[in-house]
Amino acid sequence: MNINCSQLDDLLFDASPLAMETAARHANDCPACAEKLREWNELSTTAASLHATWDNDLLWPRIERALRDERRRSPLGRVRRYAAAAALLAVLGGPLYYALRVQVHETSFDNAILRSEAMDEVERAEHTHVAAIHRLERLAAPKLEEAESPLIVSYKEKLMLLDEAIAECQANIDRNRQNAHLRKQLLAMYSEKQQTLQDVLREDNHVSNQ
Amino acid sequence: MTGFVSVPPAGSSANADDQRLAAACAAGDTRVFEDLYHRFGDKMKSIAWNHLGNVSDAEDAVQETFLKVHRAAKTYTGEASFATWLYRILVNTCYDVLRKRKRRLDDLPLEEEVESLTRTALTVDDAKRITLLKLLRELPEQRRSVFTLFEIEGLSHAEIGHILGITEGNSKWILFATKKELQEKWKRPQ
Repeated sequence: MNINCSQLDDLLFDASPLAMETAARHANDCPACAEKLREWNELSTTAASLHATWDNDLLWPRIERALRDERRRSPLGRVRRYAAAAALLAVLGGPLYYALRVQVHETSFDNAILRSEAMDEVERAEHTHVAAIHRLERLAAPKLEEAESPLIVSYKEKLMLLDEAIAECQANIDRNRQNAHLRKQLLAMYSEKQQTLQDVLREDNHVSNQ
Repeated sequence: MTGFVSVPPAGSSANADDQRLAAACAAGDTRVFEDLYHRFGDKMKSIAWNHLGNVSDAEDAVQETFLKVHRAAKTYTGEASFATWLYRILVNTCYDVLRKRKRRLDDLPLEEEVESLTRTALTVDDAKRITLLKLLRELPEQRRSVFTLFEIEGLSHAEIGHILGITEGNSKWILFATKKELQEKWKRPQ
């Protein structure tokens, strides 16, 4: 294809292999266009040499570190860190919780044993006390049944009231074995009963002595 | 974590591989970023150097581009290939650096920077290279980008159109006009 000089720019704009070949053919016969084409191509050749290359072995590690920091700072990264922390807590916390739970359980178990032992001790003391009172009752029973003096009648009524109170208190204790207040009340009533029985026996002696 | 995603070749249109690649980048898969760096790092460094004029700023821009890719990968639509999208982020990063920079590009020492680069074409003397670099630095931003991406980095007008947000035809016209302008100055003694 033959072209005139004014068409050279069209070919350079097209820049396809066919257009550049056509321009080169025209340049063979046209020194002015040949110079233009030489400069044009020289620009491209020089430009291609400007592709910059250099080695930096530290650049990728630097980028990698920056990416890692970026992930740590990002909200998603924070969520992931929290999730990892939660997972770590679950992994470490599970056995820790179990160990603490076992320890607490063992402590409460120990406390329960101690409490149970103390209660048994108190109840043993109470039974001993009650047994002693029953012995006194047996001794005082003949006098109380006869109840000749108004004082003995009064003691008898008092003892009956104390027995009712003791029975009621004992019923409450059976429902709440570890209630120390009821235990103290019961102890006080037993002591009162003991004291009253001793008074009955002493009264008998006084009467006998008179 | 996603499995390893291979990086598709540069310049190809967006496809399922590109979408997987973007997803892996969004997830922060370091192996994928490393693969991207080994495949496109050299070209990225060169594009950045030709926009910013020195190695240090170019490396910073490349690093910043990877961070931006990580942040924005989930917004990748697949309109262009992933590589083209990567270059678009890089060029915009270079523009940001240039705007923040107090010194003008042509104030930077050019000869030392050219010396520090590995010579890729021994047939072209440094004087011509420096002359062309000086001429490029005088160009408006967009013209310099089109010339750099086409003539220096060998990208197509379609890719340049995606990178710069212009039409393919416009990229072609800008390149022609730029080369005509450079040719006029090239003839004159520098």
